[in-house]
Amino acid sequence: MEFKLETFLFFFLAVSSIISAIMMITRKSPISSALFLILNFFTVSGLYLLLKAQFIAVIQVLVYMGAIMVLFLFVIMLLNLQDKSKFKEKYSYKKITSLLLSILLFCILSFTLYFGFTGKFKAMSDAAGDLGKAETLGAELFTAFSFPFELASFLLLAAIVGAVVLAKKKFN
Amino acid sequence: MTIDQFLLMKNEILLIAIAVIVLIIDLMTDNKKILFPVMIILFIFTTVIGFIYQTDGELFGGMYRSTPLINMMKNILNTGVLIILLQSAGWLINKAENHENIGGFCFILISSLAGMCFMISSGDFLMFYLGLELATIPIAALVAYEKMKFLSAEAGTKFILSAVLSSGILLYGISILYGTNGSILFKDLNNSVEITNLQALAFIFILSGIAFKISLVPFHLWTADVYEGAPVNITSFLSSISKAASVFILLILLFTVFINFSEIWNELLVYLSILTMTIGNLFAIRQQNLKRFLAFSSIAQAGFIPLGFIGGTSLGASTVLYFLLIYVFSNLGAFGVVSVVTSATGKESMNDYNGFYKTNRGLSIVMMLSLFSLAGIPPVAGFFSKFFLFTIAAKQGYYFLLFIAVINATISLYYYLLVVKAMFINENEQPIEKITSDVYAKLGLAICVLGIVFTGLFGIIFDYINTLSKGI
Amino acid sequence: MIDINYYLLTSAVLFSIGVAGVLIRRNAIVIFMCIELMLNSINLTLVAFSAFLGSISGQIFVFIVMTVAAAEAAVGLAIVIALFRNKESVNIDEINILKW
Repeated sequence: MEFKLETFLFFFLAVSSIISAIMMITRKSPISSALFLILNFFTVSGLYLLLKAQFIAVIQVLVYMGAIMVLFLFVIMLLNLQDKSKFKEKYSYKKITSLLLSILLFCILSFTLYFGFTGKFKAMSDAAGDLGKAETLGAELFTAFSFPFELASFLLLAAIVGAVVLAKKKFN
Repeated sequence: MTIDQFLLMKNEILLIAIAVIVLIIDLMTDNKKILFPVMIILFIFTTVIGFIYQTDGELFGGMYRSTPLINMMKNILNTGVLIILLQSAGWLINKAENHENIGGFCFILISSLAGMCFMISSGDFLMFYLGLELATIPIAALVAYEKMKFLSAEAGTKFILSAVLSSGILLYGISILYGTNGSILFKDLNNSVEITNLQALAFIFILSGIAFKISLVPFHLWTADVYEGAPVNITSFLSSISKAASVFILLILLFTVFINFSEIWNELLVYLSILTMTIGNLFAIRQQNLKRFLAFSSIAQAGFIPLGFIGGTSLGASTVLYFLLIYVFSNLGAFGVVSVVTSATGKESMNDYNGFYKTNRGLSIVMMLSLFSLAGIPPVAGFFSKFFLFTIAAKQGYYFLLFIAVINATISLYYYLLVVKAMFINENEQPIEKITSDVYAKLGLAICVLGIVFTGLFGIIFDYINTLSKGI
Repeated sequence: MIDINYYLLTSAVLFSIGVAGVLIRRNAIVIFMCIELMLNSINLTLVAFSAFLGSISGQIFVFIVMTVAAAEAAVGLAIVIALFRNKESVNIDEINILKW
């Protein structure tokens, strides 16, 4: 088999994203979980680049990693969750059941997806290179999809008011 | 785009305008009490306009659509939220610690209602998802609102975790549907959705995502704790308005996008319905806290709704809408009384209601009417809506489901009557003292009572809804 | 050329890991992060479909999902802070009977 850079990059990114996801759910300390999640987002943004979605990849880095995850880290540090005794989680039959359940879910998902999509797409669409550009996405966002865009801004406003209502609470 | 087309969205535009006005007044004045009457007047205006000025059509290439049936549903939701706002007046204005948050509270409630309106008149999955999130995320802040109450913060955590989880599952279904059909518009999907393994999986994901919102068993686990921990008015919002909107969008999705799947969802809904009715009832019998009791009874009530979906007929659609209309009035009536009593005395247990009739005649009669309507006792509206639902199931030949539903209706009769018995017959040495409720709460309860009595007495309302439901 | 199945399988693995995390972990913040992981895997699916179908709506959807995730994080973390200030715990087991 001929060696291709794209194939190598894909497998590298996919495997590292899966490993970082597994690390994320198994770490005891929330801070290391958050850091592994950031690593995962980074690898996924690499996958977006392979899919020629440059703008989404940039947004992933700026918004997801730069804003949302920083918010998470900030809250974790604000709550000062350093006391390791608080993170003790018991292992019980419930957890084993839920692990088995999610493995079952994975099997169902992968089988249906694999058999459903094999041979359906020959190759990436020719238009894909243009679709991911900021100008194409921006043009669509402000013409055909301007309505959902405005609604999303109202959603953000409502979420901010919600957070403010909670922040006004006074505690003893 | 002309002004006429723009006015298709009048309901949502007015709601968002009111929300923004509320926010601005809230920032400008120090005396927050002024805010409330202004908002109520604006809101009544919006509700009335919704009834008078009916429109239908499509906007944004099918992303937004409006039909007479959708308009009717929006009117029901508007009226319901108006009642809730009126009921929460006492709690907001009489308690000094809530004054700070009157603006925020009203803003969130109204924007959540706007989200529901966008959701039910969405024409593609993008708008549907956005509307759904706008309807749930801000409400989570109000669920966790109660000061100093640990239970409330806990309820908020559970609510937002389950809401986000369910919308994640829903979204996975949407993404698979997008991949197989290449479009997210309902009208494109309507023609191209067909039964393959992949699309069946997508359908099940979407169904379970919405079932979380309606809290059908086995997706109900978050419900009781959240309903108990949240402030009473938010509980009544979640259990009637949120639930009604989610049921309606489920109806639209099943009848338009997934109409080719009707064999699958007929079977699935039968099982969901049987489970929901039975488990909701079994838990409701054991409850001693009145709020928790109403929460479980609302789970059981939701179990009756899938009866109307069976067969996918337009008569079924209008029956479901009629059921929702009556359910909203009766549930809000019952919660309204609980809200008045809780904000005056803080008592929620069922034993506290012993001898309630001796001290508070008006309130206990409202409560009795609402509970009779929920139970489906003949002269009251609830009887007709349940009866019509049973007829739909009988016409389609689902006799086993019908049998279970009748048994469950009988069981529910028992526990609703227990509360009525506690209020009217049981003796109590220290009954709840006489409560004088404010004008707002009285108005809210009066609307509920009128709704319960008139929708039952006049068959014309059902006929009217039935004429609307031709084009879902 | 990488087949779309590889992307979809990667995303399915990430989604299942996210679900497993939600079911197994008891720390409210970590559960939140697991849900973010699930949303992320869904975004991967949407972008993959968008590229292979040649249709833009998938990427617009991803854009909106990110906005919604930000809103969720804002409200959710505010609630978690309220919870923590009421009782010094973010472990769902300790905050009681969450019977999933």
